[in-house]
Amino acid sequence: MRTMAAARDRFAVFGTTAVLLVSTPRALKQARGVLDAELAAVDLACSRFRPDSELTALNAAGGAAMKVSELFADILSAALRAARLTGGDVDPTCGRAITALGYDRDFAEVRAAGDMQPRLTGSVSPVPGWRNVHLDRQRLRVRLARAAQLDLGATAKAWAADRCADAVAARLDCGALVSLGGDIAVAGPAPDGGWRVRVTDDHAAPPDAPGQTVTVQAGGLATSSTTVRAWTVGGRQVHHIINPATGEPAVSCWRTVSVAAGSCVDANTASTAAVVRGAAALPWLHDVGLPARLVRTDGSVETTAGWPSDQGPTEAA
Amino acid sequence: MRQDDRRRAVAAARDQGLRRITRLTWRAGVVGVVCSALVAAAFGHDVRRTTAPSQQGTIVVPGQPPAPAQGAGQVTSGAS
Repeated sequence: MRTMAAARDRFAVFGTTAVLLVSTPRALKQARGVLDAELAAVDLACSRFRPDSELTALNAAGGAAMKVSELFADILSAALRAARLTGGDVDPTCGRAITALGYDRDFAEVRAAGDMQPRLTGSVSPVPGWRNVHLDRQRLRVRLARAAQLDLGATAKAWAADRCADAVAARLDCGALVSLGGDIAVAGPAPDGGWRVRVTDDHAAPPDAPGQTVTVQAGGLATSSTTVRAWTVGGRQVHHIINPATGEPAVSCWRTVSVAAGSCVDANTASTAAVVRGAAALPWLHDVGLPARLVRTDGSVETTAGWPSDQGPTEAA
Repeated sequence: MRQDDRRRAVAAARDQGLRRITRLTWRAGVVGVVCSALVAAAFGHDVRRTTAPSQQGTIVVPGQPPAPAQGAGQVTSGAS
């Protein structure tokens, strides 16, 4: 039976904003408890900025194998799958490249630091690559090649959104939408007409910001953009989406890409890969049948595979 | 008489051979079942952990694409 979405919570997490919607108002408090527990566990496993996280320990292991939790193995497995499915365009071994650009602390601090000094010495190079990550799922052991440093940011947030939405819907028997920094997962019965999502550049923008409103019934919707998590290093504007082939921020004809998929982690995988691939993303998304909305740097919009056509005025660049 | 004894001896040898083959077949079957059970016990948990092939091998498209809607959203999808 379908119900109306009736309750909402909003809070800070992972250096961004989480939004929780549930179709049953009385379930909201318990649902928030589910999210708090799940997100705390993901943060402890995967944060690049916590000295006590598993990821920090693994990055410091110097090539030695390390025992990891089942949760960490699940998230790493999702990241490796994303790398495999995109031919390495979404790669978890971007840790050193992103750190070299100064993004080695919570993003609010990076932004507040203003123009940073370049940390790169010598020429940039491709990231080590996901094949340098050896995961033994059965024994819960991971080994990174010595040069490789993990950054699971691209997939961990989306993976967590899927996990939280599934957990809320299953445990509390209600419809749930979980947005973690604009990466959206839905589970359980959707409200009449579906969940209404405003697709735009910045997840923190108001619900009527320039963009397009769509409804989703299931799965995930994710947006990647070069415009929001951006800062300056040595007078140069950089952003957080690394092209693994160069080790540098991706140079793309798209400023923002939104993708709908069967899960949030798949949507995030495709939207990130699309930014990295640039013009080649359009035929790729058509071929794989993923509904997407791609906004060029000049504000013009393309859509693929059943995404509703965007009749609105061209967005300001 | 001697011919009858020979026939009985041949028949007895044939019966004994058949019994031996039956026993061997039975034992081979038992060994096969035990081996199958051991393999299942050893690797069964891996099978449960493995994601469905369709999820492992491709980015999964949504059951239905987003539909157009008017007005503001309940939530915003954008970069963070």
